[in-house]
Amino acid sequence: MSDVLRRIEIPIALTIIATLLQVIPYYFEIPALESAANTASNGVLLVVACATFIGVISIIQVHGKRIQRQSEGWYYSLLVIGLSVIMALTGLPFPEAGLGVNNSIYNWLFINVQTPLGGTMYSIIAFFITSAAFRAFRARNLEASIILVAGTIMVMGNAPLLTNTFPFIADMSLWIRSVPNLATMRGVMIGAALGSIALAVRTLMGIERGYLRGGGEE
Amino acid sequence: MSIWQRINTLDRRYTYLLAWIVVLFPLLNPLGLPIPISPDAHAWYDYVENEINDGDVVLFTPMYGVSGMPELFPMTVATMKHLLTKDVQIVVVSFWNQGPLVFNTLLTQVDPADYGYIYGEDWIRLGYIPGSETAMGSFAANIHTTVSADYVEGRSLDSFPMMADIQQGEDIDVIVSIETGTPGTPEWMRQFNAPFGTPQITGCIGVSVSGMIPYVQSGQLQALMPGLTVSAEYEILLNKPGLAVAGVDAVSTSHLYVTLLVIVGNLAYFMTREDN
Repeated sequence: MSDVLRRIEIPIALTIIATLLQVIPYYFEIPALESAANTASNGVLLVVACATFIGVISIIQVHGKRIQRQSEGWYYSLLVIGLSVIMALTGLPFPEAGLGVNNSIYNWLFINVQTPLGGTMYSIIAFFITSAAFRAFRARNLEASIILVAGTIMVMGNAPLLTNTFPFIADMSLWIRSVPNLATMRGVMIGAALGSIALAVRTLMGIERGYLRGGGEE
Repeated sequence: MSIWQRINTLDRRYTYLLAWIVVLFPLLNPLGLPIPISPDAHAWYDYVENEINDGDVVLFTPMYGVSGMPELFPMTVATMKHLLTKDVQIVVVSFWNQGPLVFNTLLTQVDPADYGYIYGEDWIRLGYIPGSETAMGSFAANIHTTVSADYVEGRSLDSFPMMADIQQGEDIDVIVSIETGTPGTPEWMRQFNAPFGTPQITGCIGVSVSGMIPYVQSGQLQALMPGLTVSAEYEILLNKPGLAVAGVDAVSTSHLYVTLLVIVGNLAYFMTREDN
């Protein structure tokens, strides 16, 4: 019995059924299939929601070990777990107990701790960009020169100080965005879509097995 | 060692220090630099002002987390203020886990009640729906089975009068998505625009613009707001200068600084190329 359950045809068949269940109602109006597809989609949402807890467990495992061993920077791990617990508890959906989305501690932590930290992480990019602008954006050959000029015009086009003084920069920036960029992005999107279709067909036909226990096995 | 060689080998910490000064100075001392209005800002303003009609159901979706807030939060606030001046029904939902928290922050600055909006009658929050594009597809197929209760009061959606006529994606008249990545506009297009033809406007971070342009050109996106600069222009059009206008001087000075770094770096590269 266990050998039968381990047969590779079973997950392939499940994949085909799940895929067709979503694809067919997209193109044809078949109420029974639409209902089944919606039920399947809601099932996926449940699975994803449960997966959130795996993230929490993972954080506790990783940082818990670090605290237990008192390895370097363990106090940061303590902070992570402590704040996670506070956020989780204060955000519990029990408004009658003063918890949930309107809880003042929950909102205070988000606005005054998480938001500035997130903004700080994002703003660090600015330093990398300045370093790259100074050291990496070099006109070493024709291709690099084209990218350099186009990139610099785009940067200048985003600075009101420059576009106000030299309006033609805004026009050039708009042209780059709307002509060569558009053509390139459209090509990339069409290529990616064709690739996705090819992958889907291979998966439906059971040829693509990369997603199955490492794939390959006949 | 020549000056160009010195520049070429300049410690990167000096460029970091200058970047810090160039951004911080205008934030502490606003320069009041002129802000020309771009076609993007006009398109966004005109769409919200003229194309969204009274009674329309607007799906307002902050699809980003804290890292996107410096660039996207000002346009989220400005657009919400603009929408609230109209007589529309607003459904707030997010497929990003921090979306509802971002919206909580927005509510500290904008109170829909000040505009005569009553919760549950004129606007409603549905919170975060996990599951990315699958969740969006499920939401489009049936809103009431995908979201069993609202985010604020935890009541069944059926108990809200405004939700009686908002059952599925087809009942949404326009999507306003402010986003940083996936899920975002391509997913909205597949799950709403393609099957229902739902019009959409998207606000995004600057680096996402190149990927959005094909949707603008095809007419699937009615307007695009790329980044903080256009947010500032939009605030000026609204006559409500806010967070974006306050930050746009820093955008100008930092972009000018980057441009100068590129020029100086290349000059140094060419002047010392033979030596190297």
